[in-house]
Amino acid sequence: MVSYIIKRFLMMIATIFIIATLTFALMHSIPGSPFDSDKTSNPVIQQNLEKFYHLDDPLPVQYVSYLKAIVTFDFGPSIKKPNETVNSLLERGFPISLELGMITIIVACISGIILGTLAALRHNGLIDYFAMAIAVIGISIPNFILATVLIQVFAGQLGWLPAATWSSPKHMILPTLALATGPMAIIARLTRSSMLEVLTQDYIKMAKAKGLKPWRIVFRHALRNAMMPVVTIMGTMLASILTGTFVIEKIFAIPGMGKYFVESINNRDYPVIMGTTVFYSAFLVFMLFIVDIVYGLLDPRIKLHKKEGETS
Amino acid sequence: MKKWLLLTLLALAMVVMAACTANEDAGKNEGSESSGDKKSEKVLYLNNGVEPTSFDPSVAFDAVSWNPLNNLMEGLVRLDENNEPKEAIAEKIDISDDQKTYTFTLREGAKWSNGDAVTAGDFVYGWTHMLDPETASPAAFLAYGIVGAEDFNTGEGKADGIGIKAIDDKTFEVTLTDPTEAFLNIISNPSFFPVNEKAATDNAKWFAEADSFVANGPFKLASWDHDSKMVFEKNDQYWDKDNVKLDKVEWAMVNDTNTEYQMYQSDELDISSVPGEMYSKLKDSDELVNSEQAGVAFYRFNVEKEPFTNKKVRQAFAYAVDQDNIVEYVTKIGQKPAHGFVSYGFKGPDGNEFRDTVGDLIGLDKEKAKKLLEEGMKEEGWDTLPKVTLTYGTSPDNQKVAVALQDQFKEALGVEVKLQSVESSVFMAEQKELKHQLSRSSFLYDYADPVNALESFITDSSMNRTAWSNKEYDQLIADAKSEQDSEKRWTLLQDAEKLLIEEAPIVPVHFYNQLSVQKPSVSGIVRHPVGYLELKFADKE
Repeated sequence: MVSYIIKRFLMMIATIFIIATLTFALMHSIPGSPFDSDKTSNPVIQQNLEKFYHLDDPLPVQYVSYLKAIVTFDFGPSIKKPNETVNSLLERGFPISLELGMITIIVACISGIILGTLAALRHNGLIDYFAMAIAVIGISIPNFILATVLIQVFAGQLGWLPAATWSSPKHMILPTLALATGPMAIIARLTRSSMLEVLTQDYIKMAKAKGLKPWRIVFRHALRNAMMPVVTIMGTMLASILTGTFVIEKIFAIPGMGKYFVESINNRDYPVIMGTTVFYSAFLVFMLFIVDIVYGLLDPRIKLHKKEGETS
Repeated sequence: MKKWLLLTLLALAMVVMAACTANEDAGKNEGSESSGDKKSEKVLYLNNGVEPTSFDPSVAFDAVSWNPLNNLMEGLVRLDENNEPKEAIAEKIDISDDQKTYTFTLREGAKWSNGDAVTAGDFVYGWTHMLDPETASPAAFLAYGIVGAEDFNTGEGKADGIGIKAIDDKTFEVTLTDPTEAFLNIISNPSFFPVNEKAATDNAKWFAEADSFVANGPFKLASWDHDSKMVFEKNDQYWDKDNVKLDKVEWAMVNDTNTEYQMYQSDELDISSVPGEMYSKLKDSDELVNSEQAGVAFYRFNVEKEPFTNKKVRQAFAYAVDQDNIVEYVTKIGQKPAHGFVSYGFKGPDGNEFRDTVGDLIGLDKEKAKKLLEEGMKEEGWDTLPKVTLTYGTSPDNQKVAVALQDQFKEALGVEVKLQSVESSVFMAEQKELKHQLSRSSFLYDYADPVNALESFITDSSMNRTAWSNKEYDQLIADAKSEQDSEKRWTLLQDAEKLLIEEAPIVPVHFYNQLSVQKPSVSGIVRHPVGYLELKFADKE
């Protein structure tokens, strides 16, 4: 177990290193510079700016200081927001994205698992059709459309909820709904199909035959095994939702980190591109790592030691 | 047996939902309490779109920073309701006979929000900071009319070589290299605001947080929750505070026009921009405010790339553009068609609009366009016209206009133009390197004078980007800049514009406007064609 974790950890570092290098290569290969604007300033001022941000150094030198920035996790000042450092942007934006993401994930998981389980238990019944209808709608409607509709109905016409911004629990309802519907639908469908499969297994029949209580069968025996596919997608889902979703954050004016991620590329704001990309990918890789460990906890058959797994 | 299980699950779902509702109620209570407190105050709810880039007057050069900053600070002059620069922190302005020396006497009552007096030294400090090459201010070029300013800014001169001087605490003197008619207009720009020297030496980042911000304008910065909200309060130290009617201004930062408009409809905002599709619906509404924005959208011909090396071909393409059709059926947001390069909003010494005096210089004329194209091709000996590609920076609005132009060129000239959409930053870089044949551009004024726009097309100007060079034009602009007689200057500028359109390195398409909806209870907000939002006179019922 320990050696496996160490190995995975080293691979994680390698993955992040490759992503960082690719990002560096890509961001310097696209034309345009952070100082491009319709108004051209004086060439001397341009030079001053480039010197200040070390953009006049040869690329290998920039690459080394870039790697240094990643290791020390100090990405320096943003070019487009001269008052801010990349770290302060991340420190401010990430907790908000995290908050929105956590609420979303909890709502999506609970409602998705309940819907999926109900549908599986009432296979081909009314509840099943109803739950799957919701799931299909949830998967097929993009969240930005849902967001606009929710604002239009609940803020515009009914006036029950505020349209945007992120200041009180009341403000959180619409963005959470808009963001959670998609993942909820995916989780519901996955839970349903794997639940159906599990419910036909011999050990479930065995459990029923033994006269175990139904809730015990569902929770202890069926659901636990049916969760495997859900846990698999959970890793990437968590990372992408927790690190901010540009569109939803923009529509609801939520000051999360999603927008820095997208805007920095349009602005060629190199330090911010680097900071957000590395942060995002590290987070994603870390989540996948966690998922792997959770596998082992859920299903003892999955051996964390590769070698043992092969020989057995 | 299964029913029992279903019940359990349902119960679980109920508990979860109940937990959620409890939170909702908690939120509602908070909300209603705070709105009850505000009723007695006049609070204006605005949207700034995004976080201001910087409140350092020297650093940002954009509306999202300067619309709010313009109401927190004040320079020597301030634009009035008629867009004229009027005495503000300066009480008296003396201009020497050669129009090169300006002496400003500052108001006795002019104070910073921390109680300090605004001194001439604060102006010297602020302006020097802007021109300092280390600051790398994008607005520094605005001050190049001042003696020694350009030298200092480009690292060749020293700070004491700049023609600005604090004669005493209340007297500030500026020396210019040429008589500059637009000078007072130029210094109404936020980059010419004073900076409280004491506050800035204590804390170099004084402008970054509400706690350390010192204002000298109608409002002060009460709180600044980065990336989400700013609150301005009436500045009780402001010399003209009796004319400021609002108690507070709350700025949201909502960067989605549709959301912004919904917030306006649910009374969370008092003013909103108008989503493109909504204009036709709101056209006759009392709440719609359509004001002038000095600026023009136009296309550049690259005179070094065939077929636009030929003047007649350029003219042919220019005459094929139907500006009226584009503003009416394509952009559809109440803009004015551009039949010249200089936009509306500039009155000459005779009191007439520049635009009206010069009149329409270009517009759709299919016959003329066709004839010019034939003549041009004959001159060059072309049987078929070299292929033309029209390039624009990726955006839905640019695309709409580009498609319309493609159609218009085909209809008037029978020329099939290829469209190319390029990511904005790449587009900008390529345009500067003269890589396009025919490309989209826009110009927004930095100060209220036609010379600001016309100057772009002198030889080797960084704003030229067409490779067009014309000695007569360069001379007209140079003469206009040194002319002391304002009527003669005005005529020179008009001649320059006529020559520019005649030579056709560009073809204008439409002028800009500022479109918003505003609650009927709000009044007194001034939107200048050149300049930033003015809330000093604003009121709310």
